Amino acid sequence: MGRYVLKRAKSALITLWLLATIVFLIVSVLPGDVGRRVLGPFALKEDVAKFNHQLGTDRPLIRQYFTTIRRLFTLSFGNSYQSGRSVNSVIFPALGRSGKLAILAFVLTIPLSIAAGIYAARRKDNISDRVVVTTGLATSSIPEFVTAAVLLSVFCVHWKLGHVYANPPANASLIGELPYLITPAIAMMIAYFGYITRMARAGVIKGLGADYARTATMKGLSRGDVMRKHILRNALAPTITVISVQIGYLFGGIIGVEKVFNYSGLGITMLNAVKSRDIPVLQGAVLLVGLIYMVSTLLADLLIAYLNPRVRLETNR
Amino acid sequence: MSDSANDAPVSLPDDLDLPPDVVALSGAVQLSERKQARKENWRLIRRRPAFIVGVIIVLIWVVCALLGDRITPHSPLDFRVKPHLSPRSAYPFGTDISGRDVLSRVMAGAKDVLKVAPLAALLGVFFGVIVGLVMGYIGGWLDNILSRIVEAFLALPVLLVALLAVTTLGVTTGVVTGVVAALFTPVVARTVRSAVISERDLDYVTSAKLRGESAFFVMFREILPNVSGPIIVELTVRIGYAVFTVATLSFVGAGPQPPSPDWGVQVSDSFRSISAGIWWTTMFPAAAIASLVIAVNLIADSVQSVVEAS
Repeated sequence: MGRYVLKRAKSALITLWLLATIVFLIVSVLPGDVGRRVLGPFALKEDVAKFNHQLGTDRPLIRQYFTTIRRLFTLSFGNSYQSGRSVNSVIFPALGRSGKLAILAFVLTIPLSIAAGIYAARRKDNISDRVVVTTGLATSSIPEFVTAAVLLSVFCVHWKLGHVYANPPANASLIGELPYLITPAIAMMIAYFGYITRMARAGVIKGLGADYARTATMKGLSRGDVMRKHILRNALAPTITVISVQIGYLFGGIIGVEKVFNYSGLGITMLNAVKSRDIPVLQGAVLLVGLIYMVSTLLADLLIAYLNPRVRLETNR
Repeated sequence: MSDSANDAPVSLPDDLDLPPDVVALSGAVQLSERKQARKENWRLIRRRPAFIVGVIIVLIWVVCALLGDRITPHSPLDFRVKPHLSPRSAYPFGTDISGRDVLSRVMAGAKDVLKVAPLAALLGVFFGVIVGLVMGYIGGWLDNILSRIVEAFLALPVLLVALLAVTTLGVTTGVVTGVVAALFTPVVARTVRSAVISERDLDYVTSAKLRGESAFFVMFREILPNVSGPIIVELTVRIGYAVFTVATLSFVGAGPQPPSPDWGVQVSDSFRSISAGIWWTTMFPAAAIASLVIAVNLIADSVQSVVEAS
């Protein structure tokens, strides 16, 4: 296991470095004057110079590059162009709020979609299987903001079941925040339900046809025991992988959901940064989300290796 | 998975008129079998109801995009009508905050997304296929390096990077198309790479190499036709994602700007009036987005299940 962890961590570090390089390339290396491009042709020369100086694009490229790399590994992303405050003080509280929403969305999604996956797999090619799979395909292909807008209209305005604005009052407790966050979390659940269900279904179908499932059944285990002790354990690996990948995607989709429900998380912070051309904040947010994605996929791989000895033995060979 | 023709017994149609030395090459035999298999696949795809439904919906939107305000009942930009009229016979989708006909705007709005999304997907697949072929066929250190880069790209959420890129590069159709294509390239490359790897040690590739064909020829003339199945699947899937991404980008302001009738812009302009009970200005463009992405995904799913079963 130790060797596997080391190998996997090494490749994660290399990927992180490449990620920082890509983000650096997007902002810095494209031809032309960043300040001029961002502020437009009518901006004053001094403003453009000030912008470039604050962003650091007037310095040698190689120094800018090392700054970007250092920022990712030290988790300090410089100063916001708009407010002059440190980017960290802007994005970390926002990330915390988005994180709450994301966790609630996953708490709703994971049990439901694994259950739906098992249900559909047991009835493979039946009408109920088709309904689950097609619904999942349809809802996961619709952009999150569309789902969020429909929920806002039907759920919050027409039936008056949820809050139109997701920002809870400042003194709300964690439980007190739930009613505010539940509708946006459901919107995200609808978007991610399909993928996880599909993976769980495919895993269970594969398990149901496998030799070990037949052996366990012939040993006299009940259907429930075969499912719990043998099939689910094996079907879990692809499901864990897809969940960890979803964590990265989630921070893309959350932007639309936060905008619809006016929730001041990382998404809204990024949109404000776009409006005020606050590139350091955007850059920091992208790097941070990339880092979260890397960590979550790394943890997922380690969890899979822990659950399934064959995976880690593969690397030792 | 994609290519059963390699192991299948060789059977030539009688009317195949080829010089004997060409027939001797496995490539030519496969060419005819491949055509047969492709025809058969296409026949199977066309018979799937999901595919037919998907194509009809997409065609409706394509017609709206092509004809634009020549077929809309009113002008999509004309704001002389009363604002916020609820749906009625003269204005089946109602009017928006500026008194523009929502139905006309929804019809005209198909153009913006259909101008960007399919092109972005096509470009992404084009470059992804090239990179994937190189990674899979040439392999070695080049594959190692490119695989790392692909992995790093996959760690970047498409929407966030697109936001960063359009902020530094400016919001133009070209930038949005290019950014989405660039972000799709690594994903496609990964799919093509694994398809190529399962092909590269097969007999037809070895014999092409023994004939002394160049790496370019082997990649594009021998392997590429045999991995066309997964590539077509990837293209249809990517078009779906591109519609999704482009719609979301325009909703968050990184796309066409008002008064464009783009669907994402319409939802963004009007969703705040939902709480005042004005649902039609948001719901109809939202439904249009949903119908287009679902239709594209129905097509993609049909293509995928047929190609993967063959």
